[in-house]
Amino acid sequence: MGLRDDLERFREVGEERREDLKEFISYGDLGASGSKDIKIPIKVVDLPEFKYDRLDMGGVGQGKGGTPDVGQPLGQPQPGDGEGEDGEPGEEGAEHEYYEMDPEQFAEALDEELGLELEPKGKEVIEEVEGDFTDITRSGPHSTLDFERLFKEGLKRKLAMDFDEEFVREAMKVDGTSAREVFRWCREQNILVSMAWIEDEWSRIPDDERGTWASFEEMEENVERTTAIQRIRREGLREIPFRREDERYRHPEVIEKKQSNVVVVNIRDVSGSMRETKRELVERTFTPLDWYLTGKYDHAEFVYIAHDAEAWEVERDEFFGIRSGGGTRISSAYELAKEVLDERYPWREWNRYVFAAGDSENSSNDTKERVVPLMQEIDANLHAYVETQPGGTAINATHAEEVERSLGEQGNVVVAYVSEPDDVIDAIYTILSTEATAE
Amino acid sequence: MSFRRHRRDAQREAARLDEPVREAGALAKKLGLDPYPVNYWVVNYDEMNQLIAYGGFQERYPHWRWGMTYDRQRKTDQFGMGKAFEIVNNDDPANAFLQESNSLADQKAVITHVEAHSDFFKNNQWFGLFSDEGQFAAAAMLERHAQTIERYVENPEISRDDVEKFIDAVLCLEDTIDQHRTIREAAADEDGRIPGDIRAQLDSLDISDDVRREVFDEAWLEGVEEAEREAAKLTDPRKDVLAYVREHGMRYDEETGKAEEMEPWQKDVLDMLREEAYYFAAQKMTKVMNEGWAAYWESLMMGDERFAGTDEFITYADHQSRVLGSPGLNPYKLGKELWEYIENSTNRAEVADKLLRVKGVTWRNFHETVDFDEVQTLLRADPAIDGVSADSLDELSELGPDEPRVDHETLDRALSGDESLDLEAYPWKLLTYEGLAERHYSLVKAQNRGFLSRIRRSELEQLSRYMFDDEVYDSVEEAVADVDKTAGWDRMREIRESHNDVTFLDAFLSEEFVRANHYFAYEYSQSSRQFRVSSSEYRDVKKKLLFQFTNFGKPTIAVYDGNFDNRGELLLGHQYNGVILDMKQAKGVLERVYHLWGRPVNLMTITKEFDEHEVEVARRRGREPTPEERAIRVRYDGESFDEHDLDPELEARIAAGEVDYDTKPDDWL
Repeated sequence: MGLRDDLERFREVGEERREDLKEFISYGDLGASGSKDIKIPIKVVDLPEFKYDRLDMGGVGQGKGGTPDVGQPLGQPQPGDGEGEDGEPGEEGAEHEYYEMDPEQFAEALDEELGLELEPKGKEVIEEVEGDFTDITRSGPHSTLDFERLFKEGLKRKLAMDFDEEFVREAMKVDGTSAREVFRWCREQNILVSMAWIEDEWSRIPDDERGTWASFEEMEENVERTTAIQRIRREGLREIPFRREDERYRHPEVIEKKQSNVVVVNIRDVSGSMRETKRELVERTFTPLDWYLTGKYDHAEFVYIAHDAEAWEVERDEFFGIRSGGGTRISSAYELAKEVLDERYPWREWNRYVFAAGDSENSSNDTKERVVPLMQEIDANLHAYVETQPGGTAINATHAEEVERSLGEQGNVVVAYVSEPDDVIDAIYTILSTEATAE
Repeated sequence: MSFRRHRRDAQREAARLDEPVREAGALAKKLGLDPYPVNYWVVNYDEMNQLIAYGGFQERYPHWRWGMTYDRQRKTDQFGMGKAFEIVNNDDPANAFLQESNSLADQKAVITHVEAHSDFFKNNQWFGLFSDEGQFAAAAMLERHAQTIERYVENPEISRDDVEKFIDAVLCLEDTIDQHRTIREAAADEDGRIPGDIRAQLDSLDISDDVRREVFDEAWLEGVEEAEREAAKLTDPRKDVLAYVREHGMRYDEETGKAEEMEPWQKDVLDMLREEAYYFAAQKMTKVMNEGWAAYWESLMMGDERFAGTDEFITYADHQSRVLGSPGLNPYKLGKELWEYIENSTNRAEVADKLLRVKGVTWRNFHETVDFDEVQTLLRADPAIDGVSADSLDELSELGPDEPRVDHETLDRALSGDESLDLEAYPWKLLTYEGLAERHYSLVKAQNRGFLSRIRRSELEQLSRYMFDDEVYDSVEEAVADVDKTAGWDRMREIRESHNDVTFLDAFLSEEFVRANHYFAYEYSQSSRQFRVSSSEYRDVKKKLLFQFTNFGKPTIAVYDGNFDNRGELLLGHQYNGVILDMKQAKGVLERVYHLWGRPVNLMTITKEFDEHEVEVARRRGREPTPEERAIRVRYDGESFDEHDLDPELEARIAAGEVDYDTKPDDWL
């Protein structure tokens, strides 16, 4: 008994046992929209209770710097509004806690996860920065310890050292193999495991399980590898290996600071054919991208453009919520984007990203005659089009294909397809890796 | 880090905290607080996580939900993002846990905060509902429950999964209790007895068939049963659903296919969990008040009274701004601001009361006659009191031996050279409650300038309506000298005794407050499928806010019949107030209540239905569609759900009265 036991039982809920609670399990998700915090994946089981319908109950919010006008859309309801919030576990005690992650850490974690090496490049604006705690040394008073850096280094190390233990254990069950051979095989597979660990584990493999697999190949075919994110999702980051050598202490110095700026133009089709599910997919894809770039650059600004047959600039709060009835003319958005970029974000000073999303439906010939030339005219680090077409492709949805056909070779244009939430990570990878390799 | 090392760190930390703990307790008492004694424990981060998982205690019954909280807490910790500052539990004596790695400034803040919580626990009447009943020892009670349930879990006769499922079922109802009464009163709520099986009783009596035919014939039996059934219909719905199922619940026996008596362990578990629900209810009912109270006194002790050393003050300010600055509707901030509002408005009323008694001053000419700058200056604390320090002993002595603001005992000790007082660090020891009230008088603080002059005519008119001695003072000086500077704190303590969040917000959330903080209400718009701002009117915001705090922010569900349809079915009713239930959740609860009742269970409620065509029309015209309300009864028989229209007579019993929490304006989109 005790907490370890409770934890064990909790892990099993809805999986090995207690099927009855399965429908009450939810997982925290990446990218809480409109919020500055990233949520870390976490399993939550909420016992059912008599509660009000979330939509019907409404709520109370607090305006920042003024009372908003009646009728103004809110985006998502603010979390933590009074007692109406979803039963926070442990709310019985009077504890105070915070739960947040900043974009920079998010970007690093994503880099590690996806193996990206996107470095902000070129176009830095130089400015004088007054003596801040910017310089670092290896020793100093404790209060100036750069904990963020310590944590990040620890996280990197963790990700570098982390490997799929189960998978390696399975490899030990290959017929006639030896610890040394498994080690060699691991090296070939780029699994960062030490000989000591293998030797240790080797003796623990039950004899009757040895020989389960005829060869490494057979084992690889039959055993599924898990990715680092799956393991973290399942087990959490057990521990961050902090090392003294990662400790840095900040001390003030007056320096000349180079600042890299980025502007991201998010374009979204809000026409009649964009239904709720598609809208959600756009949000799920754009939010992490925004976060990622915010984390990568010193200074990030965002432009949101909604369009049907016309285009107009909106605030982020409204961006994902707008619906309109009209037809679609994608070029209208690019015309506006060009205007905004030329006017406010000169190419020599700004890194530019133009991300558009929609269901690929466009009015006839608009893509070829108007959009493609505009995309060529607008200088940008990257142009991306995300096609959201849950439930397959409609016949007249050809925009993405046409763009890919005409500009796919250009190096700074990429098209990604998202038809269900599981595609989001792949799409993000496709988009960001294009930027990483394009020069 | 080894265990021993931990212990040593913890001990060192504990020694370092001895003095702050002692002095904070003394200061709290000087300020008029009356806390339970608090035992402080220094713990490491993992112990802290465990305590948080267990809701502030060291032992709880085995259940996966503690594992869930623990998991979450550890992950928060691993990412280096979350920081738990304190946890304190409601007990006599209270126990507070401090994390050993916190800075000294953080620890001091936590201690002052905890002292105020402990005062609240002890003196608030809603806490009293539980703690005044018999011997109050919460940690011991929870430990006893833990051990008993552990024994059931380990008992080979009882399946562990069964115990767990049973606990789940009870937890689904943990908020459907009668939290405004004591646990005993709620249970004793008399109701007609459920007809026991009278025939079975007769059988067991071994009466001869002759007697049965003569005396207890069929007609008689039916008459008795009918009368008992009538009596079983509850005249008043029973809010304590847990108590009701404890009394009349059964379990469905798979083998016999019938409802059977609950097992003794089931009744026992139900009793224990119900007791815990009542124990924790007060905390859920007073979150805003209690956190605001603690934040108020913490800020006064740490900031104004400089309980944090000067060097620690910056760390403290940072700590506080993080707690108060977290986003959304933050109970710490809301509560603290309301308490400050109460303090200021009480002090203002006291000043106005005295000024209205100055010759020539009336409520009509108040704003023209009174020179507010002059009053502000006159209200300032006596320099001897305000500037109290280790070096001001002579000034204090000069105020004379009868001066009520000076703590003469401490002063004598200081004058005779007692250095153990450490007046450099703790000058407040030289003052009494009256003295401290003057030193921290709210109306002269920079942030409250102008508060006095903003007093409304209506309030002045009210104050003077029944005032007889309205020509007591010749001058403003005389009147101000008579102002009782403890009025604000006195009033705050009265309020902390009798209110809960609902009454607190109802009484003290003023229009001035709602405006200044830019609060607004929002609703869901069916036609735009979005939440939108529905109102920033004071009345609407307050209505919505009260709704969120009433009955733990949850719908009221009560037992309406324990023998529904004459078949022993349970009939629960949702007391409709214009806001519908989350039906998926409600059905999940019914499935679990079935485990506690052993027979079919019913829930009556009212739903809203939208006509698709009308929604489409409304959307095109930029209007909101009107839903149609329909009263239904959902029945679960152990296998499936079915839905029936609700009998009009029953509908009348759950339908909304005058309450309406909708804040949608007519012309909205």
